[in-house]
Amino acid sequence: MRAARARNIIAVLAIALTTVLFTSLFTIAASINHSYQQENFRRAGGDAHGTLKNVSWEQIEELRDDPLIVESWARMFVGMPSDPPFNKSHVEVSYLEPQGAPHHFCAPVEGALPQEGTSQAATDTRVLALLGVEPEIGAEFTISFYIDMNTVAPQLVTRTYTLSGWWEYDSAMLASHLLVPRSEAEELASLSSGGADTLTGQRTMHMMFRSALNIEENIQAVLRNHGYGGADGGSVQDISVGVNWGYTGSRFDGGLSLEEMSAIAALLALIVFTGYLIIYNVFQISVTNDIRFYGLLKTIGTTGRQLKRIIRRQALLLSLAGIPLGLLLGFVIGNKLTPVIMAQLSYTHAFVSFDPLIFIGAAAFSLLTVFLSCARPGRMAARVSPVEALRYTEGGNAGKRSVKKGTGGASLPRMAWANLGRSRGKTAVTVTSLTLAVVLACLTYTFATGFDMDKYLEGSVATDFVLGHADYFQSGFGNGDPSQAVPEEIIAQAAAQGGITGGGRVYGQERSIQALLPEEYFRQDYSKLYSEEMLDSLVASQERADGGTVVGLAQLYGLEDFILGEINVLEGDITPLSDPSQNAIAAVYSTDEHGAIRESDNCFNVGDTVTLRYVEEWVNVDTDTGEEISPEEADARWARGETNYAPRAKVYEEKEYTVCARIKIPSALTYRYSTLGASQLAMGAELFRQDTGTSSVMIYAFNTAEGSNAAMEDFLAQYTESVQPEYDYESKATYAAEFHGFQTMFLILGNTLSFIIGLVGVLNFINAILTGILARKRELATLQSIGMTGTQLKTMLVCEGLYYTLLALGLALVLTLAGGALVGDTVTGIFWFFTYRFTAAPILLLAPVFALLGAAVPLAVYRSVARFTIVERLREAER
Amino acid sequence: MAILETCDLRKIYGSGDTEVRALDGVDLSVEQGEFAAVVGTSGSGKSTLLHMLGGLDRPTSGTVTVDGRELSTLKDEALTIFRRRKIGFVFQNYNLVPVLNVYENIVLPIQLDGGQPDQAYMDQIVETLGLGSKLQNLPNNLSGGQQQRVAIARALAAKPAIILADEPTGNLDSKTSQDVMSLLKVTSQRFSQTIVMITHSEEIAQMADRIIRIEDGRIVTWG
Repeated sequence: MRAARARNIIAVLAIALTTVLFTSLFTIAASINHSYQQENFRRAGGDAHGTLKNVSWEQIEELRDDPLIVESWARMFVGMPSDPPFNKSHVEVSYLEPQGAPHHFCAPVEGALPQEGTSQAATDTRVLALLGVEPEIGAEFTISFYIDMNTVAPQLVTRTYTLSGWWEYDSAMLASHLLVPRSEAEELASLSSGGADTLTGQRTMHMMFRSALNIEENIQAVLRNHGYGGADGGSVQDISVGVNWGYTGSRFDGGLSLEEMSAIAALLALIVFTGYLIIYNVFQISVTNDIRFYGLLKTIGTTGRQLKRIIRRQALLLSLAGIPLGLLLGFVIGNKLTPVIMAQLSYTHAFVSFDPLIFIGAAAFSLLTVFLSCARPGRMAARVSPVEALRYTEGGNAGKRSVKKGTGGASLPRMAWANLGRSRGKTAVTVTSLTLAVVLACLTYTFATGFDMDKYLEGSVATDFVLGHADYFQSGFGNGDPSQAVPEEIIAQAAAQGGITGGGRVYGQERSIQALLPEEYFRQDYSKLYSEEMLDSLVASQERADGGTVVGLAQLYGLEDFILGEINVLEGDITPLSDPSQNAIAAVYSTDEHGAIRESDNCFNVGDTVTLRYVEEWVNVDTDTGEEISPEEADARWARGETNYAPRAKVYEEKEYTVCARIKIPSALTYRYSTLGASQLAMGAELFRQDTGTSSVMIYAFNTAEGSNAAMEDFLAQYTESVQPEYDYESKATYAAEFHGFQTMFLILGNTLSFIIGLVGVLNFINAILTGILARKRELATLQSIGMTGTQLKTMLVCEGLYYTLLALGLALVLTLAGGALVGDTVTGIFWFFTYRFTAAPILLLAPVFALLGAAVPLAVYRSVARFTIVERLREAER
Repeated sequence: MAILETCDLRKIYGSGDTEVRALDGVDLSVEQGEFAAVVGTSGSGKSTLLHMLGGLDRPTSGTVTVDGRELSTLKDEALTIFRRRKIGFVFQNYNLVPVLNVYENIVLPIQLDGGQPDQAYMDQIVETLGLGSKLQNLPNNLSGGQQQRVAIARALAAKPAIILADEPTGNLDSKTSQDVMSLLKVTSQRFSQTIVMITHSEEIAQMADRIIRIEDGRIVTWG
């Protein structure tokens, strides 16, 4: 019965481990989803289910009592500051009803919301920091902001407030709030021109329903209840309806990509399989050992169905002990792992989900695994014939082999080998579960080490540092604002730090430049976003040039020689770019994961002629008649929502260039966005300045000597923070840190998984050895009685243990080789910065561990058996 | 010459009220080449006696001397080695190793001792016991009688000083029992092999050269 106790412990542990795997997986998945949602709420500005825009106070009061609404609050927008220091941040001045503060993540941690009738205001730490005000209640501060911001006539107003409360700035939030009392908001709103297009003074009503399901329907129902909505769901009286996309955008609402789904499914299958391997083995062995007992039960009239039920009940009892243990452990592990993964998914907030569904789900899956695992052993017990049961010995009944060739005699290793073959199912399952852990550890290691940082950086980062305007890094360069250019004095400041080994400028265009493009390319480029119908009308309204080409746009780079050294030449020769007299131009392409050129990126090939138009004056023309129309007429048409007019170049200079090369520009040096209907082209810096007549430095990219990297990083961080806050920078180190973070996450996850599955494997192994020795107690005693010494017996048992582990290692080697070759390509496809290199390092590393295990487990088990004398053991077995 | 000798052999289990005297002063001596049967009822102490004789268990007091060697002077490991060289066992339930074929089972004790089987002698044993056609079979495919013949062959293989047989016919029907007994008898004569057999059956015991009766841990009759 000792064997039964050990077996039960192992079964409980196995079930617990399986549950651990499920729980951690679910916790991580749910936490990611939850965090994703929370992050979305912050991006969306709040967690209200629905919003009604442009409602009056009367309407708000009227709608508020609707029984469908659980909670509601109103907000009145006033204005926004946008001059420095607020040029890099989005701050909104508004009145917010107090109950809404927590929903918009602006409940004060210190102090309170502003009192009615005072000049108090509350805001977050970012706004205070930008104002240079210490977060202290009662502090006075002055702020200038615009009302009617988005209209033709914004007004700048300046106000002084007393700080009534503040809260921590949350980097996930796009907007910071400055909250003022309602009276102040109303007063400010009265300054507004009151035009239809102004947001100043606009009120929104936010509401929570009982659940996040059917938000849209609920809002419409509320409107209908009060006579505002039509049955068609459309809104009336200018009230527009908003559904918080933070809810609908939830990952589990179809947002989950096929890859993510299959990854989760594969993991689930792997866990079920791992759990199955051991739980099945435990039950199989237990049924085999108790087969006489089941035979006896059958002789006294127990039906097969009842036997199955007995086994299921046993499984249930063991699950009752194992599953709660696993849930607890799994939750702890999941909690520890979640932040690690979150950090990689660039979430600012890691929310650990406590959803009871996690536990219900994990428990259900574990139970499913347990029942799957005991189905076959149950059938075996149910089918046993009472007579056979008495004669049944493990593996001995096989009878498949009646003859064993060879008369070479029996050496200890050969006997041990033969013993493994006794119960091939058990051996196979045990070896498989050990193998699985090794293969996983191996693949984890292979992949984690295969992530190639150089390759990772290669495609995107070319230089140690990139310096540019803050807008540039937000994909906002080229909006016609020449102040986005990097001034030479900033470049000089950086150079003055010393240690720069080389650097160059990338010039960007300030104004639109037209390019004559083949219609086919123009259409194809727009087809990414436009429907066929829209495309037709777009192409029809487009100006035509000679040879049927469409007048599209160019996204033009001017590259200094240093930059030319950093780009990839895919085809042709770039030396002509450095010589302005050759009028050479390069067509910009990207490459796929195999390094092949994406032909659809551009329409120009080496040798082609490119015609560019540098536009000096634009006019609007009627697209139907082709006649020029006045700006007033254009405004009027715009106001009426008509689209039958378009801007055309009136005065321009046209120039032709010859394509000398096809190139790829590392993503860190590009515009960081692409314009539809445009061809990306690059020319030498000098020619660029000469022909465009502009010299806006989009970025300055440079390398520093190894030792100066940190100093430069510090300097730039400080410089762009306090001296020149309109500018920003990026360094290779930031990318490298990102890469290492990713690698670490992969290693931690993979190793945790391998470790747990390894534990399952080891448990399985212990179980196999334990039952193997206990079941053969008599046989071992016989061997001793006919003269096998203790040493010889131990040698044989150790051999058996070693065979298991060696088989597992060998099999793992084969599988890793095969799996790596097979999966390697796929992984390279997903992570383009992955290079597959076969490595047996983990196997070599695990070999001594496994050898130790293979030797120690049988010895330990034998020790417990050897406490009994041979006679006792001979007798016990006879009973 | 006595190849096996015991002197005032006692084995006592438990103590006080629960004390059981399994062997209570047994003096026994078996001559070289003799085929002796120890007969007793269940609980008479005959199995305990056999275990003592084979060095499988240690007596509470008294000595067992096999081939001039007193067993109590041997440590466990040395005793095991002595056993595989000097003592052959035949068990009631054969106790063959299921993963080894017949031949491998027979030579196992020799190989455990690191020796090479004497092929001529092996052939002789195999021929005597009629196992020639079964050498490559696994034990599970053999009948009980056949399995017991393999066990006898295994006991003979190492040319032990003495063979101890524990109810060798206990699991066999009477016809097969007769066959096995005849083989033991033939073996004893042909190889001049000393055999001590324990049995509860008078009929089986009649085939031995000498019958020793045991009751309550004492020898009551010398045959």
